[in-house]
Amino acid sequence: MYRYDEFDAALVRERVEEFRDQVARRASGALTEDQFKPLRLMNGVYLQLHAYMLRVAVPYGTMDSRQMRRLAHIARTYDKGYGHFTTRTNIQYNWPALTDLPAILEDLASVEMHAIQTSGNCIRNVTTDVFAGAADDEIEDPRPWCEILRQWSTIHPEFSFLPRKFKVAVIGGPNDRAAIRTHDVGLEIVGRDGNDTLFRVFVGGGQGRLPHIGKEIATDVRGTELLAYLTAILRAYNLLGRRDNIHKARIKILVESLGIEAFRAEVDRQFETLRDEDLRLPQAEVERIRAYFAPPAFETLDGSSGAFDRAVLADPDFARWNRNNVRRHRQPGYASAVISLKGLGEVPGDITDTQMEVVADLAERYSFDEVRAAYEQNLVLPHVKLDDLPSVWRALLAAGLATPNADLATDVIACPGLDYCSLANARSIPVAQALSKRLADLDYQERVGPVRINMSGCINACGHHHVGHIGVLGVDRKGEEYYQITVGGSPDEQAALGQIVGRSLPSEAVAPAIQRALDRYLEIREDGERFIDTVRRVGHEPFGEAIYEGLDAAV
Amino acid sequence: MKLLTANRLDDGRVIYWAEGGETTGVLREAARLDAVMAETALARARSRPDVFVNPYLVEAIDGVPSGRDRIKETIRATGPTVGNSLPHPASAGAR
Amino acid sequence: MRLFEHGEIGPQTRRLTASTPLDQVEAAASDGAPIMIEFEAFRDGRGFSLATILRERGFSGSLIATGDLLPDQARHLMRSGFDAVQLRPGDDPAAWRRMLEAFSVVYQPAFDAAVPAWTSRGKSLRRPSNAPPIDEGTTLGRRAAELNAALRDADPLTVLRTVLDPRQGLRVAALSSFGAEAAVLLDLLARAGPSTPVIFLETGQHFLQTLSYRTTLSKRLGLTDVRIVVPDAEERADLDPREDLWRTDPDACCDLRKVRPLARAAAGFDALITGRKRYQSGTRARLRVIEALDGKLRINPLANWSADRIATYRAERDLPGHPLADQGYASIGCWPCTRPIEDGEDSRAGRWSGVDKVECGIHLGRRRAAA
Repeated sequence: MYRYDEFDAALVRERVEEFRDQVARRASGALTEDQFKPLRLMNGVYLQLHAYMLRVAVPYGTMDSRQMRRLAHIARTYDKGYGHFTTRTNIQYNWPALTDLPAILEDLASVEMHAIQTSGNCIRNVTTDVFAGAADDEIEDPRPWCEILRQWSTIHPEFSFLPRKFKVAVIGGPNDRAAIRTHDVGLEIVGRDGNDTLFRVFVGGGQGRLPHIGKEIATDVRGTELLAYLTAILRAYNLLGRRDNIHKARIKILVESLGIEAFRAEVDRQFETLRDEDLRLPQAEVERIRAYFAPPAFETLDGSSGAFDRAVLADPDFARWNRNNVRRHRQPGYASAVISLKGLGEVPGDITDTQMEVVADLAERYSFDEVRAAYEQNLVLPHVKLDDLPSVWRALLAAGLATPNADLATDVIACPGLDYCSLANARSIPVAQALSKRLADLDYQERVGPVRINMSGCINACGHHHVGHIGVLGVDRKGEEYYQITVGGSPDEQAALGQIVGRSLPSEAVAPAIQRALDRYLEIREDGERFIDTVRRVGHEPFGEAIYEGLDAAV
Repeated sequence: MKLLTANRLDDGRVIYWAEGGETTGVLREAARLDAVMAETALARARSRPDVFVNPYLVEAIDGVPSGRDRIKETIRATGPTVGNSLPHPASAGAR
Repeated sequence: MRLFEHGEIGPQTRRLTASTPLDQVEAAASDGAPIMIEFEAFRDGRGFSLATILRERGFSGSLIATGDLLPDQARHLMRSGFDAVQLRPGDDPAAWRRMLEAFSVVYQPAFDAAVPAWTSRGKSLRRPSNAPPIDEGTTLGRRAAELNAALRDADPLTVLRTVLDPRQGLRVAALSSFGAEAAVLLDLLARAGPSTPVIFLETGQHFLQTLSYRTTLSKRLGLTDVRIVVPDAEERADLDPREDLWRTDPDACCDLRKVRPLARAAAGFDALITGRKRYQSGTRARLRVIEALDGKLRINPLANWSADRIATYRAERDLPGHPLADQGYASIGCWPCTRPIEDGEDSRAGRWSGVDKVECGIHLGRRRAAA
């Protein structure tokens, strides 16, 4: 993984000092709250219902054990002993004091981490496939490009005061595990031309109040021209994006209102006059960064493992975890293991300091010192030998981290909702917990198979409800919490927005309604169909009927 | 009747306007303000940006939030209803 | 980037708001007249793109920013191509200057002098990050030799930026007499780091012209941390009660008024920047750009520069001269020990003229100064 050189290290330290100066000016009155707010947001600092919240960047989801241990240390020292992994592969702390934040940022800088641009109207933390560098369907590891984008977008002189936030995701092949079509810009590596990487570019995707699936704007942008092309897109957006209405300020609205053809013409016009020779990355720099992401020193193995096979036969619990949480690896004899942060009745994405220490130990010992954050609010050990999987599983089990539900019905994405968030209309966590308890039967979950259920506490859609196979959106109905359900959304290469199936439901009705929808799927599915396949075949109506079954009189 | 609330600048915690312009972290100690007192308190809170961040008024009946935002205000007053903050209730709303 | 509060806007300056459409901005900029862009809200970043595009398309006139802006945007403005900011009443110029200096690293090519990290990598003069810091085993002499090897032919600005780079881990101050040639070093320093402490040894016997020059020059260059260092009052009462030690023992006088105060003032620093040049005198003919002295680095960015080069730079930058320089004073110290020089003398011939002394001792090191 990437390591800071003296330039990177100096920048994050200087950023801490800059923030210290800003905090001092806020305290002295030299900055008003209105002036301070965008500055603190660009350092990841929110003011939520109960306290400040710090969102720490995990660039493209990659961490090592030293960083994970530092995150645990921060949770213990400055917070209440836990952190929350988000759908942007970042980690949030819910209780830090403003006066502690410079010290926390200094702690982060000491392990090559920061909270820069995890919020604010600027280019946000770049996300990617959690299995990057491990998946067997990848054309090229996307992470070197993520790191290049991280550096290029950091404290950008032209693009730090955009109309609204700007999110970029990158994938290394055709299978989209990073939801790139719901990002402001999505980049898909489609091939190579000599030494140069080719990118397909999507623009104008986004969730929130007015969700849009991104549109293809270019089919083969060369890696050497990537920064120039992104500059042209951002420049068109910065000059033309709406600033009069916060709900219409994202690039998706600009692309929608101009039409993709006119927007493409605008981008091309900007591209022609760019000083693109300056934005052309030196090949040596691309290679320097690529070298950091070279595959680790895998052993040559024959792809089978006696220890693993015996454990699968001997222990049905291990076998189940293996079935659901272990993913194929490009290197024979290795696998990637999903660490579910969706324990029965737990808060999706939460992890305690002691659990973080366990994960750090396992990463160090069994996964070439690497651990990843997934946008589904789980963690992944990317490179584990099959021989070691039983030991890894036993350690996870002891730490309460071996829930065998990855991608199943209780692997729910949920935002913090009204329990923490000042934007929320309704709580998300209790609804996710109720569903987790109701569907706790693992045999049932396995029978249903993979299904993505996503919950957001407001229309900002941090819980990705629009692209959940089943989506739940918290709404405020005259001071009461209600929940609107959508069916048929999908975040992948067949990206789609879910359809609202009917009126919103009270909190306690949500979990039973979702179970009825899953039961309906079990009744009507054809051989080999996943939940989403059935929805695509039959439409959302049968599921809507199931959701409202027996509710007419009650609501 | 109204209550005045805000978050405190240095640690972000929920605070209420108490009698005499003091601040309290405890909902039941919040001053119950009539319309005129509420506006005065709001102006005074706004003039102290080193303590009060985003001060605003909350509708209340008998000192309990009652308006459209009553759930949010109740959660602000008592802390998250679920989750990993619960084992440490002392630091959530008691300050 | 220039910061100013009022005045200074010529009648030919075109005033536009940051919400002006790009084609209108380009039309206004077509004849090269100065452009002033007013930001209506600091959150509205259109002005950064407008400036960048104008510069990319070849606009070389003055670009002035004004309006609702925060000090925290100073670098964004400078890097986007603005060359001046008109501050509003109540804006704090010190905060603006501080924020201009907040970062030594940039990741993007832009319109300031900063070189993006990806260009610097591989040809850096800086120490590799794994080199031990100065206090962890590298001897000062070796550090000086390494730095000298890297910087001996570098231009003065590069020398200054390198030693002021926080990654060097050096606590750096500059030393200036605010004498006849001080403006050049101080101007370069103001460009590399205007908040660098500048130590001025107030001997109590300076020309009044030097003191007023110190004030005007510091202000003009935007130096924010000029430290006036005076002799210890007790020592002074003890050693020179009648203020005439210079008559009988100029070395002792310099020791009292310069060497000892400097030792105290410099205690917290690892490196001192001086304005010495090789051409100045015989004793300075072998001067290195970086040298080690008394446990500190001495940084002499101008060591290589000739008198002509100094003069050219001063003219180019239109730097104000010391009021006495026109009267034939080529090197200016305390009034009792300085006289004008004649044509053909070396520039320091007017110092301690008539006694066997050419250096006050602050650049000699403890042992030799005491001898």
